[in-house]
Amino acid sequence: MLHKKSIGITGMGIVSSIGNDIETFTHSLQQGISGIQKMSNTAEPVLAVNIAAEIRDFSFAEQLKNLKNIPEEKVKKAKRLGQRAPFVIQTTILAALQAWAEAGLFHNKVASERIGLVVAGQNSTQNYQYKLISEFNENPEYLSPRYALEFLETNQVGVLSELFEIEGEGVVVGGASATGNVGIIKGHQLLELGNVDVCLVVGVPADLSPLDMQGFINIGAMGGKTYNEQPTLACRPFDKNHEGFVYGQASTSIVLETQQSSEERSIASFANVIGYGYYLDKNSSANPNLAGEEKAMQQAMERANITNADINYINTHGSSSPLGDQTEAEAIYNVFTDHLANIHLNATKGLTGHCLYTAGMVEVIATVLQMKYDFLHPNINLEQPIRSDLQFCGNTAKKYTIQTALSNSFGFGGINTSIALKNNK
Amino acid sequence: MSKDEVYHIVQEIIMEILPDVEKENIAIEKQLKDIGANSIDRMEIVTMSMRELNIKIPLMSFAGVNNIEGLVNVLHENVNN
Repeated sequence: MLHKKSIGITGMGIVSSIGNDIETFTHSLQQGISGIQKMSNTAEPVLAVNIAAEIRDFSFAEQLKNLKNIPEEKVKKAKRLGQRAPFVIQTTILAALQAWAEAGLFHNKVASERIGLVVAGQNSTQNYQYKLISEFNENPEYLSPRYALEFLETNQVGVLSELFEIEGEGVVVGGASATGNVGIIKGHQLLELGNVDVCLVVGVPADLSPLDMQGFINIGAMGGKTYNEQPTLACRPFDKNHEGFVYGQASTSIVLETQQSSEERSIASFANVIGYGYYLDKNSSANPNLAGEEKAMQQAMERANITNADINYINTHGSSSPLGDQTEAEAIYNVFTDHLANIHLNATKGLTGHCLYTAGMVEVIATVLQMKYDFLHPNINLEQPIRSDLQFCGNTAKKYTIQTALSNSFGFGGINTSIALKNNK
Repeated sequence: MSKDEVYHIVQEIIMEILPDVEKENIAIEKQLKDIGANSIDRMEIVTMSMRELNIKIPLMSFAGVNNIEGLVNVLHENVNN
């Protein structure tokens, strides 16, 4: 039996449709600002859905210049590593620098072999490859030799470990729409095992190719039909008019650290990851599973050594998918039946869109920020809730102190996860 | 296209791949690795130069090259052919 360690979050970073740093992202959450707009990409072929919460007007050089508290030599190195790298790597570098700075790791160092790296991401080069195909068909000779590095998912491990001089373990993990939570869980396990004292968990944004978009449209998962002309109304978690997920992009990073390490470095941790549930409902398809979702939440509380009476907030998976929302709402009802009066819920995807592989991390970050600043972000499009027995936050932010929370993420392929977080204030 | 023009294009590409390098530090007799290009940077400078100059020759053609001038010479011999 492993000795249970106290594991906290000491740094966070984000590049998203509603903020390219934690401060702006927090403001957007408080104000209920949606990042969903008409897509900026006008490439052929034209698809039936053309709304998304994209990372817009992105300039790596510009954002790198604007980051605060990054040593000059790191900025230089980041520029060298990122300047010609694919879009997704540029965004992860920026998000990771933010978290590293906040965790004080530039100045208040930890031995490099005691730091691990978990990259939460999958299929991250889809659009990068798609964009290269037409030129490749004409002139295969001119393909950049760097491609042989860049099409590998583990390129993220190489780039980020070089930038931050990380010598502990480095892996890439995937879990469909639950990838972000899976990354946090795997990082947590590395710390629990005692393999490392600090773990940088980095979420790679989904950069979907038109092929991937069409796949999601054809499988019936993507929303944006009725509200294609009113993009900010399209993502409606738990509303009767929900009709599928709306694609979002975000790059994320979280520094997980043992209490012993953060205390030695005199660095504050905003919240502790006190437990997690990770349960497969053994299903190769896309449909959600009630028992699987319930078990993930129960397992998270059991591992955290708490009961359903301790939870006073749930950041739902809430993807705006009719069957998904209905199943999750029922699972929450079943797990918390006698305590629903104490629990408030919201769905961050209503503002950020469904950030797919980073959704879990976006939502853990949103949960921690709501803990830190004592509020609940609004559910801007929740006009007619599908259930009346759950306390969803309304369409404006609410002052509220989250003590202990769950953050749910579920993915295609029967993947059910939930993370339990405790406010450290 | 003159050899000077080819060198000018190669210089621009080097600066794009190696953002830290100043133009005055690039000299035709220097080796790419001396100005900070690793093996992948060097290969990328070659393929990008070929693309820019619309040259399609086997990468083996650059096997004997040992400085920027050698690269410029091979490119120059093959440009517009």
